[in-house]
Parts: sequence; C-alpha cells; structure tokens
Amino acid sequence: MVSKKIAVLKEVSYQYPRSEGYALKDINLSIERGEFLAVIGATGAGKTTLCLSLNGVVPQFFGGRFFGSIEIGGEDTIDVPTSQLAVQVGEVFEDPETQIVAASVENEIAFILENLKTPRDEIVARIPEILDAVRLKGLEKKHPHELSLGQKQRLAIAAALAARPKLLVLDEPTSQLDPYGVRETFQLLKDFQAAYNLTVVMTGHAAEEIAEYADRVALLSEGQLKAVGSPQEIYTSFSLLKDNALRPPQVADTFQRIRQRSVEVIQTPVCLQDGIEAIRDLQTRVNICSPKISSQGEVLQTETILETENLFFNYPDGTIALKDVNLTVKKGEYIALMGENGAGKSTLAKHFLNLLQPSRGDVRFAGKPTREFQVSQLASRIGYVAQNPDQQIFTTSVEEEVSFALRNLGYSSTEISVRIEESLTEMGLLQVRDVHPLSLPKGDRARVVIAAILAMHPEVVIFDEPTTGQDDLGAQAILKVSLRLHQQGKTIIVITHHLHLMPDYARRAVVMGRGRILLDTDIRTAYHQVDLLKKTYLHPPQAVLLAQEIASQTPIPKLLTPAEVAACFKPRVRGRA
Amino acid sequence: MTTYKFQTVERDSVFTRLDFRSKILIMIVVTLLAFLWEDPIYEAVLAVLVLGACLAAGVKRGYITLLLAGMSPFYLFMLLTHAFFNVAQAERLLAVSNLHPIFTLPADLWLIGGLEATWEGFLYGANVMFKTMSLTLVIPLAIFTTDVDEMISSMVHARVPYKLAFIFSSTFRFSPLLWSEFNKIVAAQRLRGMALESMGLMKRVRVYARVVVPLILSALVRSQQLEVVLQSKAFNGDADRTYFHEVQMEIVDYFLISILFLFSIAAIYLRVQFGWGKFSVWF
Repeated sequence: MVSKKIAVLKEVSYQYPRSEGYALKDINLSIERGEFLAVIGATGAGKTTLCLSLNGVVPQFFGGRFFGSIEIGGEDTIDVPTSQLAVQVGEVFEDPETQIVAASVENEIAFILENLKTPRDEIVARIPEILDAVRLKGLEKKHPHELSLGQKQRLAIAAALAARPKLLVLDEPTSQLDPYGVRETFQLLKDFQAAYNLTVVMTGHAAEEIAEYADRVALLSEGQLKAVGSPQEIYTSFSLLKDNALRPPQVADTFQRIRQRSVEVIQTPVCLQDGIEAIRDLQTRVNICSPKISSQGEVLQTETILETENLFFNYPDGTIALKDVNLTVKKGEYIALMGENGAGKSTLAKHFLNLLQPSRGDVRFAGKPTREFQVSQLASRIGYVAQNPDQQIFTTSVEEEVSFALRNLGYSSTEISVRIEESLTEMGLLQVRDVHPLSLPKGDRARVVIAAILAMHPEVVIFDEPTTGQDDLGAQAILKVSLRLHQQGKTIIVITHHLHLMPDYARRAVVMGRGRILLDTDIRTAYHQVDLLKKTYLHPPQAVLLAQEIASQTPIPKLLTPAEVAACFKPRVRGRA
Repeated sequence: MTTYKFQTVERDSVFTRLDFRSKILIMIVVTLLAFLWEDPIYEAVLAVLVLGACLAAGVKRGYITLLLAGMSPFYLFMLLTHAFFNVAQAERLLAVSNLHPIFTLPADLWLIGGLEATWEGFLYGANVMFKTMSLTLVIPLAIFTTDVDEMISSMVHARVPYKLAFIFSSTFRFSPLLWSEFNKIVAAQRLRGMALESMGLMKRVRVYARVVVPLILSALVRSQQLEVVLQSKAFNGDADRTYFHEVQMEIVDYFLISILFLFSIAAIYLRVQFGWGKFSVWF
C-alpha cells in the first residue's frame, strides 16, 4: 500500500561545515501526498536548507553534521544520491538565471530526462506536453535568456516537472517576479497539484498568495519549526508573525486592526474574496466613516533635477525598451517608479546615469544633457543602488568598500575618514567595518552598498528593486533608510513592483509598461487605477481593493493601507434602554 | 542586455547542418595545412578561404573585425621582426646568400640604427601572419555554427568521455555569463566615481585586473550553484544516458570527410615530393 506521506522528517538537525550554529534544529514534519505546503520564515530561518535537504543536497553536497532522517517516498536522503532522488523530487531555485543550464528551451526540458535515461521517443513526446502546460509552447528553439523572468521561472518549473516527480520543492521561486508573475506561478502549481496529485513544498514571502493557494503553512524560525497549520491559523497568529519578522496578508492585517477598534469581526479572513465578503457584512452592521488621511497630491515647487524629453531607446538587437518617455523629477521628491518585469524602469534609470544613451530624445540632469557628463561625474551626484548587492561589492572589507568611491573622487584622507565614519554610522555598520562584505547577510550587504553610495553625498538616490528577496523586516529597514535620506532633502526614486510597501514612503507614483509611462500622478490616485495597473501586470495591494469595496457603498477618500481602511469602521453605539 | 549566445550564428547554412565531427576534422585539416605550408601565397589563400567560410556561415562581421583588430598588433610584430631579423632562416629556406632589402634604418638610431628590412623576411612574416589568421578564424567557424547540446552528442559519438564533453560545452555556455558579470562589476565601479573614460591604457588594464578578484569569487559561487542545480537535475557525469539530439552523419558529412582526407594526403604528398607550399618568393 502506498503511504499517504511523501516526505517524513524525523528529528532533523543540520550544521553547515565551518559554521557555529545549526541551520535546522529538531525538525519533525510529515508532508502528505498531493498537498501544497508553504514554508515561511525570516531571512536566515533555514528555509533554503530545508529545501536542499529534501533532495539530499544537504548534506550530500555540502557535508557538515546531519542528525535525524528524511525519507522521501520511502528512500532515505542520506543513502540515495541526489541524482537518483531527482526521480522523486524536483527542485526549483530562487534565481531563474542560475538554474538554467541548456542553450534552448527544449534542451532545458530534455536535460533532466536525458540524465534519467528516458528513451528519446519519450523525451520528444514530453517536451511539447510540458511546454504547453506552462504556456511556453512555440518557444522551443528560443535561448532561455531571451525569455522574460516569469517565463524563465516557468521554464525552470517545467524542467523539474518533466521528470514527473512526486514532490516539487521550490525555494522562493517568486521573489524576483512582478505581481502578475507571482500569481501566474502559484496558479500553475495549483493546476499541477490538482491534475497530477503533485506535492508542492514552496518557500516565500508572498503572504497574500500563500494564504490563497497553500493547504498548509509551516513557520520556521532560526532553524526550528515553530508552527504548522492552515493558512487561516498561521496568518491570524499575529504575534507569532510579528516575532518572526513576517507580515500577514493585508486583508488579515486590515481585519485585525478593525477588531482592535472594538468592532466585532466573526472570523479574520486571510483571502481577498473572503475579505470582500466580510466587508460587505460589516457594512450592514457597522458605522462607516471617512477617515482623515494625509494629503499627497501637492506638487513640489522646487527646481527640476532630472528630466527626460521624448526619450526613445532601442537595444542593438532592435528591442524597443523606451518609447517617448517624458518625465520631470523635482528636487526633494520621493517617487515610486513601478511596472512589470521588463517595463523599462531600470533602462530609464541607466539613462539618468549616462550608462545608456538615448536613441532619440534628451535626458537632462540639473538642466544639462547627461551626455555632457562622465558616468563617474553623474554617479557622485546620482547614487544608484542596483538590485543585486553582490554585483556591487568588489573589495575585501566594508570600510574599503565605502572608501572606494571617495578615493576615486580624489578626496583628502581626512575627508575620506570623516565620510566613512559618517556613512557607516548612518547604516549601522561600524561594528563590521573590517569584515569582508560578502560574509555578511544579504540585508547587511545591501546596506554596505548604500553606505558606499551615501559617502559620495549624492543629491539623488535611485534604489532599483531594493526589497527583492528581503523579508518584511529587511524590506522595511531599507525603505526607512530611503525615508531618512528623503527627510535630509535628497531626491529619492525607488524602482519596485512591491506596491504594498510604498504607501508609507512615496508621494508620487510613475507607472511604466512596455517602455512607456502609463501613469504619473500622486500615489493615491495611481493605486486606485486598478484597470490600468492590471494592464502593466501590477496588482494593487489588497487594502486598496477593500477600500474600493467600501467606496462602492459609502463615499470615502482613496485609501491605501490596512490602517486607513480599518479607520473607516467604528462600532455602533447602542442606545440606552 | 546580456551577451548570452556567445556569437552563435543566426543563419542556416551548410556549416550549421554539418555534424560537429566534420567540423572538428575541418579544424584539424586547416591546422595541418597551416603548419605544412610556408608559402605566403598558399597561406593567404587558406586564410581567405577560412575567412570566406566564416562570412558565408554567418559569423558576425563585427566579431571577425574585433578578432582581427585585436590580433593586428601581433601581426604587425610578426611582419616587422621577420622583416628585420629573419635573415638566416630565409636564406636557408630559399638557398640564397643575399636577400632583397626594402629599406635600412638610419645608422644614428640608438640600438636599431643600420638594421635592414628584407622582402624575404617580410614575406616569411606574412606567412606566419596568415597561418595565425587561419588558425584563429577556424575556431569560430566550427564553434559558432554548432548548437552546444549537439556539440556534446557529437563528441560523445566520437568517443570523447561525456564529462569532458560536458565541461567543454559548459565553457561556451558560461563564458558569456562571466563576461556579462565582468561588465556589471566594471559598471558598478564606474558608479562609484571611477572615471574609466579619462584613464590611459595602463590604468585601464590595472582596473580590469582588479575586477578579476570579484569575478573569480562570483565564478566560484556560480560554479557551486551550478553543481547543486546539476545534481538536482539528475546529472552525475555518467555517459550512460539518453540523448535528445540525434546526431547522424549525413552524406554531405561523408563527402566532406572524404574530400578533406584526400586533400590532406595530396597536400602532404605534393609538399614532400614536389615541394608545393614550401617557402618561396616570386622575384
């Protein structure tokens, strides 16, 4: 008789070689066949290690000390080589770029099948079948790097599914995707789960989607399994989430805040549709008021610092990346530049720094065309924090990293020392000034890069997808830095598709899609243009959709956050008998 | 945008349809001929043929220009050193005692004053230059016209150990990624005030040398990630696997192999027996 359990972890503890602590501690977990288990936890909680242990890479590849046992479909992950476990366990990693090994889409699918000695006729039959299922049909001969990020991740999933594993393990597969790509990935997995009784184990920070698609949620903290339960149970354990630097879905957050206002809420919903129904129910029995909100529509009357005029940019292969972009950035603004993957956001930012030159049109900094500046001159005035901190670290200590730019710009040694001290203090890195930057956790590595840029005292700081791959605490920490810089008078541009993070920071939203500016307005107006956002594959935060539901019955302002939506509700005062 | 394809040709031609084993033989025969002959005219014809084949196969003109421009200091060095210094060898090969001067450097020049450049030395330098050109151009002709996965299948069919074939093909697969990584690091340094535009050649070289350290670190991280990915994809380096790409020698391959074989035999025979292709001058 086939066991109902596909994976059984008993007393699993693991310590990486040359590491002091345990990455996993006493994990006991059974995973049922055909279930969708989401694993959540702060950065460093042990999610990746858990994923790698399920196909034996931990400890077979990394070594280290491993205790307990993991059985996958009856096979012990210690005894069976990873390459053999691949028959049962498919693995998908965070970065689509690093897991694609072949030079064409069809070869990528074929690779694992070839290794598993699948007969050629069977390989030929499975490729179109699986590509059709992940909606990549017609792209068989394409080089994987010609695909969008979302397509690449779907290809990685398809390659893992081609071997028809019983268990599919995905380590943060949606962290780099835009909201549309995230939902698309979840839906795809749900479809396969239903169609093939596939078991899915997935780590990630996408609380809204996990609540909607997962059957169970496991919460890891410092290598320990803190809680396992339904999305409803886990995402309404607010103190547990807070203690672990995790956030609930916005809908749950909103109803928790409503409850805190002494309004009776029967059950805190964790999915949007349930939330909308609960709002409808509340509207029938609770007073709705119009909350006071900060005005965000004012236009700054400062001078223009960055400007593009009829900007077009074509890549050498003919791809049109920017089309007639007209944008004016005033000194002291805080702008959220949003759009799908490939909308042209980073390409636009690179024009500000003269890293790319317009095919047509003009780009100006402080009134002067950027082509008249050297990149280094612009870089000292426009700080650019790129997405991946690791590609911006090239020295052997945090202090050296910060001083790199200052030496290039020819500052005196006294000035360099003062600025290093100032920057490291600002970023809270004084304690690790002599440490190799790459040995720091990802959040700290990002702060090293920011410190190095701040040392140049730029007038404008551009953050390019700064919250990608960060847990909620990490993301908020970086955005708080951006807010501090804004309060010091700097102009801030944050490129992002994490819309839920921006209302507390940005005043103005510029939405891009397919190389054009689709919308340039205050953030409240932008977030409530739901149809337009969907056109560029962005989904407004759940709080906005809940606010729109309320607004359909009662006139209220354009609300953005769970706190603002909750403030609409006040309990009815019972009349005295 | 990243250069991910390592200059793969986009045009379908006889070269893209040939089996990789035939292309390996083309490389071997061109190498053999390049070393067999010493006549600059023979070598020039060979180089022009290989260049023509590259263009016909669709190897990007920009790449060929870059390659030849990059090699040009070496070519110039070859021509000059042979013209000025290759006296004894030229005299021996031509069995003459006096070479034809082109010009003599003024006697008052320090160290090199009075040196004489000869036509025979110059032509021998041209022979070396064309030889190098053929050897350099035949590689993109074979590599850029072959799908990386077909390359592996062909090599395995040619009894090359699978692991070796995989490592060989991985070089072509990951070199563009490494190149893109290199560019990102340089871009990051420019964004920290490094004025690359106003640097002299030597300073630039020093900057590029410094990039090597983070590049190696990144390559190490990438190679570790790759190994994890490969194991997860059931890769164990074992040649006992199936192949999606069926590589089969076609008539055109057999025809080409026969021609190359016969041509090589004839070239060796003619060189040994009649001296065809030996170093000679026409004056």
